[in-house]
Amino acid sequence: MGRTLPSITQEFYEEEAALSRFRRALRRSDQLALDELLVAARQHLAAAAYASNLLPMETFLLAMLLEEHKEVQRLRTEVERLQKQDE
Amino acid sequence: MNEFSGWMFDLYDDPARGVAVWWITDDGRRLCTGHAFPVRFFAAGGAARLAELAHWLNRLPDPPACRLEEQRDLFLPQPLTVLAVEADSPTAQAQLFKQTERAFPDLTYYDADVATPLRYTARFGAFPLARCRVQLGAEDEIERLEVLDERWDLQPQPAPLRVLELEPDCNPASGTPRALLAHCGRHTCRFDLRQARATLINLRGLLVQEDPDVILSEYGDTWLLPELLRMAEEQGMALPLSRDLRRKAAHKKELTYFSYGQIVYRGQQTLLFGRWHLDRRNAMLWDDYALEGALETARITCLPVQTAARTSPGTGISSMQIVTALQNGILVPWHKQQAERPKTALDLLHRDLGGLVYQPRVGVHGPVGAVDFISMYPSVMVKANISPEVPLPNGLEPASDQPGLIPQTLAPLLEKRVALKRKIAALPKWHPRRKRFEALASAHKWLLVTCFGYLGYKNARFGRIESHEAVTAGGREAVLRAKEAAEDLGFEVLHIFVDGLWVQKPGCSTPADFSPILDEILQRTGLPAALDGVYRWVVFLPSCQDARVPVGNRYFGVFQDGSLKVRGIEARRRDTPPWIKAVQMEIVQHLAGAQSPAELPDFLPGALSIVRRALAALSAGRVPLADLLLAQRLTREVKDYTTPSPAARAAAQLEAMGKHIRPGQRVRFVWTRGLPGVHAWDLPTPPDPAEVDCVRYRTMLLRAASTVLQPLGIQRETLYQYCCGAVEQNLWQIPKRLNPQLQMSYLI
Repeated sequence: MGRTLPSITQEFYEEEAALSRFRRALRRSDQLALDELLVAARQHLAAAAYASNLLPMETFLLAMLLEEHKEVQRLRTEVERLQKQDE
Repeated sequence: MNEFSGWMFDLYDDPARGVAVWWITDDGRRLCTGHAFPVRFFAAGGAARLAELAHWLNRLPDPPACRLEEQRDLFLPQPLTVLAVEADSPTAQAQLFKQTERAFPDLTYYDADVATPLRYTARFGAFPLARCRVQLGAEDEIERLEVLDERWDLQPQPAPLRVLELEPDCNPASGTPRALLAHCGRHTCRFDLRQARATLINLRGLLVQEDPDVILSEYGDTWLLPELLRMAEEQGMALPLSRDLRRKAAHKKELTYFSYGQIVYRGQQTLLFGRWHLDRRNAMLWDDYALEGALETARITCLPVQTAARTSPGTGISSMQIVTALQNGILVPWHKQQAERPKTALDLLHRDLGGLVYQPRVGVHGPVGAVDFISMYPSVMVKANISPEVPLPNGLEPASDQPGLIPQTLAPLLEKRVALKRKIAALPKWHPRRKRFEALASAHKWLLVTCFGYLGYKNARFGRIESHEAVTAGGREAVLRAKEAAEDLGFEVLHIFVDGLWVQKPGCSTPADFSPILDEILQRTGLPAALDGVYRWVVFLPSCQDARVPVGNRYFGVFQDGSLKVRGIEARRRDTPPWIKAVQMEIVQHLAGAQSPAELPDFLPGALSIVRRALAALSAGRVPLADLLLAQRLTREVKDYTTPSPAARAAAQLEAMGKHIRPGQRVRFVWTRGLPGVHAWDLPTPPDPAEVDCVRYRTMLLRAASTVLQPLGIQRETLYQYCCGAVEQNLWQIPKRLNPQLQMSYLI
């Protein structure tokens, strides 16, 4: 209603649809991993909307990286904790 | 010389006297007075055309006074030269303008179609139910008028209204009413509608003897009053529904229109003179605020009570803006000329955004504080001085100190609402005045909410899209500053929804623990925020389609005082049958017993037995049919559907019985087995209980139950299996994934 531009959620769906050929050609296990990356990007739709980047995919990629980095941090802490236990 | 004080009751055009004004005097009289009320309208255009217009006006049989003046158009920086045309009365002005506009369609007109009550308020300050002191001349015409109170008074002296309630004994849309029930004071009379003459004589007696100020009816607009007037005409009798005996009741036609993505139906209206007719079924937001709210809306918007009760808050807020404009000598455009200015795509990209809606952290959290801005958008408009004629603010910093038209209109209303909210918060729950204050606050809320929308509405007289966008930009700035404030104080922000934040910090569980945030927000944004409450626990639900994806407005939780807050789940949806709503709420109510997230699993067995009991009641046929009803809106005429929706199929059944349903009206029906799959509730014969589609209702119930149980680790499949009796053993031993075949049998 009264919108001149697609909402960030619509933008996201469009980017997701644009990936459909890429996704189709992936192996099933890779497809599932890609889906998880897309879910990670969706966690930050609000921030992506606020950023209002002309190329939203850039922001979505960064959001995926961000979630990945959080996971890396979590795993690093976990490894350090386990190493300490072994010592 | 005749002088009195009292309440202004009603006001309308009177060709002979200017306007007719009704009063309820302090000594209990109901008085009709006249008031000479010459009104003006303005025309703008090229000097030559204006001269032609003046010449043309002078040649009319009864030439009106006209002269060139400098006036202010809100959208123009320089004063505008206009031809002011003065007519003797509002009635004469309306006729004169119609003629003028036909002869000079190329000119721009101002103040041409302003409702008389609004002009009257702007000129004399008197509004509906204002306390006034009046001095009358020899022929009951007002000579002097002094207004004793203000629209913004928190507790105005209430007018002693006499109310007559009228209702037919059944809904005329679903049956033929046989009797008319009339309640007046402590008495109730029942009139037989089949005996028209007796009914009319008795009703007339009641009207004359009790002389009610308000006729409060059910279906009065759409059926009862037109029907009574028809009966009276048939019998050749006069029925004094209006107090002004010279005037007949006025009718406004029914209307179907498209608003905010929905088809809306508004029934026809029957309006009286010198007496109010209010139809509970055809009043805007009656369920929200009832008569108190309607009266408050009338006081604040300056619209007559009968109009205020029936119009949308949008009309209300634009009326307030018109009054402010007239009082400040700003021209009110007849048709708005302003179009959106061209922008670059990048400009649009940065400006055309809505409120910030976060993706919440899905799952159970507690204790959680819910912090809300108080009337965020109106506060932003006032704080940042956002108005069509004022340069745009930078975030929340106003560009000018001179308050614009919109902030001027809103500021007193906002102040009144905040004062009212404070009063409500200070009163205990049982206090008799609390309900009244809540009705008033609810009336204000709708006006304030709409004001923001009207800034962006192309046809609004004082709208400008850039201002509208500036409001949401201010809102985003405010909520982000609030987020930063909370995070600086060590809180975790679980969720943000436009003007509300959900925050959590270990060790913070009382309202006092959260008050530093409120102070910090006020300091950083200049906007007031309040603690909506502290949740014992709150659940943010994921999307129905993908359990990994959070959604903004689907949550439920329980506050520390035990009250529930539920959003976006089945119980809140209008198209959910009452039985399903009730069971879902019963489950949430049961879970509310848990004092913290850790205690929630203890309440799981109880919740599951609620579901099982409900399902047993359904299959035993113990659920009343009325509780299985769905109400869906018709979006077009029945014949225009290519694939009829359930509502359309039900409407077609009604149409076959000769009852026409208009787009925008709701159709009530029950799901049945076989074709056509629905049974319209308003058919003369009720559906056979044996035909009810129990499987469909069971699936709907299980879906609703799993929505609220899923955060506790109960997957939908598990619930199907457990509640449909496949597994009698300990719930915790149920395998996580079901045999697909078994699953199918439950889903069909």
